[in-house]
Amino acid sequence: MKQSLASRLGLYFSVIVLVSPAILVFLWMLSLSLKNEADNTAFPPVFIPNPPTLANFIDVFERNDFVEYTINSVIVSFGATIAALLVGVPAGYGIAKAKAGGSAALILVARITPGLSYLVPLFLLFQWLNLTGTLLPILITHLVITVPIVVYVMIGFFEGLPGELEEAALVDGATIWQAFRTVALPLARPGIVVATILSFIFSWNNFIFGVVLAGRHTRTLPVAVYNVLTFEQISWGPLAAAALLVTAPVLILTLLMQKEIVAGLTAGGVKGG
Amino acid sequence: MSAHVATIAPAKPATAHQRRRNYARRYRLFIVPAGIVVAAVIVFPWLFTLFMSVQDFHVGGAMTFVGLANYTRMLSDERFLWAILHTLYFTVLAVIFPTILGVIAAVCFNQRFPLRGLARTIFILPMMATPVAVALVWTMMFHPQLGVLNYLLTSIGLPPSTWVYDSATVIPTLVMVETWQWTPLIMLIVLGGLASLPQDPYEAAALDGASAWQCFIKITLPLVWPFIMVALVLRAVDALKAFDTIFVISGGGPGTSSETLNLYLYQEAFAYYDIGYASAIVVVFFVLILLVTLLLMSRRAKAAAA
Amino acid sequence: MLQRRRMLQSAAAILAAPALVERVGAQQAFDWKQFKGQSLTISMTKSPRADVMQAHQKEFEALTGIKVESEQLPEQQQRPKMVLELSTGHPSFDVTHFSLHVSKRIVGQGKWLEDLRPYIANPALTPADWDFKDFSAPSIAAATQPDGRMDSLPLETDFWLVYYNKQLFADKGIAFPKTLDDMMKAAHALTDKSTGTYGFVGRGLRNANVPVWTSFLLGQNQATITADGTKLLTDTPEAIWAGEYYKTIMRECAPPGVVGFNWNESQTSFIQGKIGMWLDGVGFAPPLLDKTKSKIADHVGFGLMPAGPKGHHCPVFTDALGVAATSKAKGAAYLFCQWATNKAMLLNLVRAGGGASPRLSTYADPDLVKDSPFGKEWLSTLLESAKIAQLGLPEIIPVTEFRDTFGVALTDMIGGADVASSLKKATENFKPILEKSLKS
Repeated sequence: MKQSLASRLGLYFSVIVLVSPAILVFLWMLSLSLKNEADNTAFPPVFIPNPPTLANFIDVFERNDFVEYTINSVIVSFGATIAALLVGVPAGYGIAKAKAGGSAALILVARITPGLSYLVPLFLLFQWLNLTGTLLPILITHLVITVPIVVYVMIGFFEGLPGELEEAALVDGATIWQAFRTVALPLARPGIVVATILSFIFSWNNFIFGVVLAGRHTRTLPVAVYNVLTFEQISWGPLAAAALLVTAPVLILTLLMQKEIVAGLTAGGVKGG
Repeated sequence: MSAHVATIAPAKPATAHQRRRNYARRYRLFIVPAGIVVAAVIVFPWLFTLFMSVQDFHVGGAMTFVGLANYTRMLSDERFLWAILHTLYFTVLAVIFPTILGVIAAVCFNQRFPLRGLARTIFILPMMATPVAVALVWTMMFHPQLGVLNYLLTSIGLPPSTWVYDSATVIPTLVMVETWQWTPLIMLIVLGGLASLPQDPYEAAALDGASAWQCFIKITLPLVWPFIMVALVLRAVDALKAFDTIFVISGGGPGTSSETLNLYLYQEAFAYYDIGYASAIVVVFFVLILLVTLLLMSRRAKAAAA
Repeated sequence: MLQRRRMLQSAAAILAAPALVERVGAQQAFDWKQFKGQSLTISMTKSPRADVMQAHQKEFEALTGIKVESEQLPEQQQRPKMVLELSTGHPSFDVTHFSLHVSKRIVGQGKWLEDLRPYIANPALTPADWDFKDFSAPSIAAATQPDGRMDSLPLETDFWLVYYNKQLFADKGIAFPKTLDDMMKAAHALTDKSTGTYGFVGRGLRNANVPVWTSFLLGQNQATITADGTKLLTDTPEAIWAGEYYKTIMRECAPPGVVGFNWNESQTSFIQGKIGMWLDGVGFAPPLLDKTKSKIADHVGFGLMPAGPKGHHCPVFTDALGVAATSKAKGAAYLFCQWATNKAMLLNLVRAGGGASPRLSTYADPDLVKDSPFGKEWLSTLLESAKIAQLGLPEIIPVTEFRDTFGVALTDMIGGADVASSLKKATENFKPILEKSLKS
């Protein structure tokens, strides 16, 4: 298709308009995190940190158990993702092969249920079981996010795979479990990568479960940044620094794995949180 | 709170289907472990909620069966009724703006231009970023005296806004954040649709001398409409359930002017400890979401049939 | 921050001299090490008083051999978390620092905290020089449940006062107001919207804003509820007058966006130097004089709550420490509460500007404000406040609903709503909730 110069320019202009809100918010976050308090509360605002300071980041680590929160987040997000892969990949396969639409409907119900409705019962249950001092309750509630993501991504992938190879294996006398393990699973590796990344990110970002369930030693990063670092006087610098630290792993992962993420999201519309 | 992929894959050929049917029952075994997990974390809370919704139970108090009293209480609970209105107002805006912008963005990103991959990745960063972290930064930007947004407004000669500090502007402001965050999801789904479009109708239209705009309205839009509807349903569900950004940025305030059902529910359960009433609200909230979903899906089915 | 810590240390050193002598005598009788090796978890409400406890926590650990793990959470999180955890019988803490004006009755209803009277009476757990009689009568009343159980020890009595910017007052040649009428005039005189200067700031945020209104209401010599706690007085002509006052001063003299301000946003505004007066608790003073945070460290004035047309009172709110009834280390937990509310610690609290002490002996100390950045004016305001203090919130179980219901009415007023009808509606909405709570 040939395009005139004017429409080219119009396109470039539109793209710039579209991406600039994203860029500006993240740059402002960066700017706040690199400035001292005086510059952060100055009006008119100081845009470019001069000189930039890492004091806010140091402050975040010194005054908080940021390392512990990070470890908690990593354990919860990886744990919930791995558990979801263990049950979700076979389930996606089973649903794709058996055309079990009913099971998918149950997960659709999970998709539209507000997160708070799990929280009240689960919170009371975990309290009664006296499990609240551990990461287990948080990990379990995160399954509400990760299992449906994995199942749906995998349904899509397994449905897209040609069935001939597995059928050949079955004809050769393999059990359906062997056919799944040796034939379908290796082929589905790209799908598993996508499912892993997405379920990890949406578990990492989750806030609402932790805000009620997490205690001193079980706080995940999003909860910590809200709980511990809230606006006490103006501490915008440390707050922005902490916010940046919380979200940086996700942003970097997105930039590195953008192809997989776009593929996974384009196929459907996974969303956690 | 969980996730879902609307499967848009085309139906499988009938022959393959028949061959696989023999195994169908055994394949169902693969679903069992996930089924158990889902039952434990989803079905148990549901039963518990239904049970609690007919009890009068405050944390620390005794539990008594009250029948439907919690439900009838909602009818005269002004704050609850306002919460429904706020939820619907927020949802309508938070569906319309991201959908319009998302479709425009998808059309742009469907063109070829230098650095397209990078631009697209940057564009989707807001939806991947941790909502709480981003919400805190927005909060700083909205500060009425020290916020950067009011500086930007006044520097281009506009009056400063009170953003989330005024009951008239709080919901539109929250919608702005929601739009910033979730337009990318619409864009991606619609982009997936655009990529799958056949070329033939465009070639025919080009022969007829149709303009780009006519092509878009007459060919593109109808063809991607099913995808837009999928995006719209997902967006509506997410907007109805929105919590993190509202909770962090406005907390439902000023007063209760941005208190959606989700926020009110949180307040009833975790500030007033009224578990019985909160459970009843959960049930009604769920029914509301279900109704909106079904309504939109039926429209989607109609659109597909037309 | 660092500066303040050094300041605290030096203050502690001066204090230690006489106290040490006392302790030598007491030590033979009192065994601080009796719970050595146990560990405690303490949940605190984020506040300057919690800062003071944490700053001295190491001393407690050295004294007792008890390991302490403490954490501050913002009040909006800590309050519900404490109640929910206690209600299920598995709290994650042994000691809780909480606000009596919010959680007293719900905690008492559930009998979730240990009755401390036997502990106080036990000389093996309470040294003689701890001196229970030293606590002011109102603070003991505040910490005592209606059934007579005393399930917490008062830690801080937070009087409300008016912080003011002396520079702005001097620029306009205005004296600090003695009456609410004068305060309104001063607020108007100081407000100059063209320079972004405002005469007044106070809480506008739903729930947090209610004490501001009740402060004005006390000027009419009236509380929000009858003395027996059964009948609301929230739509009386006096309540409407206080509402009108709140509406006018917040709409005409406070910065835009004040409807979203809690104490911390108000504090932030105030230390930027463009606010004339800030009405809030005495315990929020520390950052105001901290030069790294405050632009007005040299100009902060501490004024007594001005008198109203019919009365001269300031509201008071009390923080306390309690021991979870399910704690496995109740003895050690009590030891912490007892230590944190002893004479030396409460003196530390006052010196750091973390609020007013519930102990009378604190104010008898001749060196009270020596080496403290909080000088004579601060101290005299605090002492004057103690004489006119009244409860700022009703002692009922559904305090949060009360604050939310009337908080919404107040935010509506800031938005321009009619005062009388807003209060009438809020009163009607809250009445059934109160009645229901009285039945149970």
